[in-house]
Amino acid sequence: MTNTSRRNPMELMDRYLQAVRFWLPKSQHDLALELAEDLHSQVEAKAAELGRPLDEGEVSAILKECGRPVVVAGRLRPQDYLIGPMIFPAYRFILKMTLLWMMLPIFVFVVGPVHFATTGSLGAAIGSTIGAMWTGGFLAAGIITMVFVVIERTQSKLRVADKWDPRSLPPLEKPERKASGGKTACELIFNLMALAWLLLVPYKPFLILGPAASFLNAGPMWHTFYAPVLLLTVASILRLIVILVRPDWVRFPVWSKLLQTVLSLVVVNYMINAAGQTAGAAWHPFVLAAQGGEQAVKIAAVVNVSILVSLVCTWIGLFIAAVVQTWQAVRSFTRKESFTPGSASLHVF
Amino acid sequence: MANGKQSGPEPFENLKLELRRGCLVVAVLGQLRKEQYGYTLRKALADDGLEIDESTLYPLLRRLESQGLLISQWREQDKRNKRFYRLSQVGEGILTQLLEEWQRINASLEKILQEA
Repeated sequence: MTNTSRRNPMELMDRYLQAVRFWLPKSQHDLALELAEDLHSQVEAKAAELGRPLDEGEVSAILKECGRPVVVAGRLRPQDYLIGPMIFPAYRFILKMTLLWMMLPIFVFVVGPVHFATTGSLGAAIGSTIGAMWTGGFLAAGIITMVFVVIERTQSKLRVADKWDPRSLPPLEKPERKASGGKTACELIFNLMALAWLLLVPYKPFLILGPAASFLNAGPMWHTFYAPVLLLTVASILRLIVILVRPDWVRFPVWSKLLQTVLSLVVVNYMINAAGQTAGAAWHPFVLAAQGGEQAVKIAAVVNVSILVSLVCTWIGLFIAAVVQTWQAVRSFTRKESFTPGSASLHVF
Repeated sequence: MANGKQSGPEPFENLKLELRRGCLVVAVLGQLRKEQYGYTLRKALADDGLEIDESTLYPLLRRLESQGLLISQWREQDKRNKRFYRLSQVGEGILTQLLEEWQRINASLEKILQEA
């Protein structure tokens, strides 16, 4: 006789019920009592059928048929959730928008480059950015979840579901259109003119400084950033040519525009940082007074400050554009097919 | 139009579960016109061809009781405490309404299937 068969088979039942109770909240323990009664009745019925008490294997078979304790407890307890099915789509949308479409671009395109500019080490910048992104992501997700948990607990009282008006629904989305050829051609002409202007500036400074070119010279910073700015303009021209040649690449304009904006943002960011690092009494990062006159130095100072302010404004504009273009790019990627007005009738009838 | 992607037993099992869910409520209410405890109720339902496992029945009984359709009472029988359930007055009214609805749905389905 084995050790197993000598054991009281009903002890197995008690162990099973104990395991079920473990997974049930205290308020639901009476369900475990009912389950216990049911299982005892099953054992009794089976014993009556066989005409003898059940052994451990037979009791085990009954318990196995009932199911794993954690699964049984899961089915017994009332359905409870932090965020219910009614508001879950909104929760998922807000979470996705915040984490993927807002925080990720901010960390990748702003925080990362800023860390790189301040530390000067790519590895350290990536490490600190990932660390900050992790913490920020968790914090944002936690706050959003908490807000939605509160909404879940209060929405039935506030009757939010009833308070809506079909007229407040957003307008129909416009189908994705191919880029307009005329507009692209105009952009291309302006970009070619800008390239010509950029190529001429080193030889004809009055093109950028106007009459002040007679007493102001370009500062050393321009030598560093001239090539990236030139390359960006060339890239923009190539991009517009591709759009003109391949108008059927409907996603290319959106994604390439985003890439261009991000690269411009990085260059402008570097320029602002570089200008900030040349601090001191002789702060002249963008233009220098060619002559030693006091008036020329004052004008150079005003021009330097004006250029810095313009760069900061450009940075803000590019950042907003990057966020909007990220949104548009993601939308163009996730949109499987364009929605044609009138197709709703298929669902109505 | 169906895309024909789903096949095999899984969709059938899911749809069967959905179909059974409402029917089980009517069956349980119908059985509890006579007082019973959990095990005998399950056995009676199984004998009539509607098997229901423990972890489905007891939460259902609890839900129906919280809705006022059932009345329960713990009592000792055969030296064991058992919880006996029976239909409440409200439950009787609801059962009548549900049965009428059931007849209507059944008649509609028959008509639809005959037309097809």
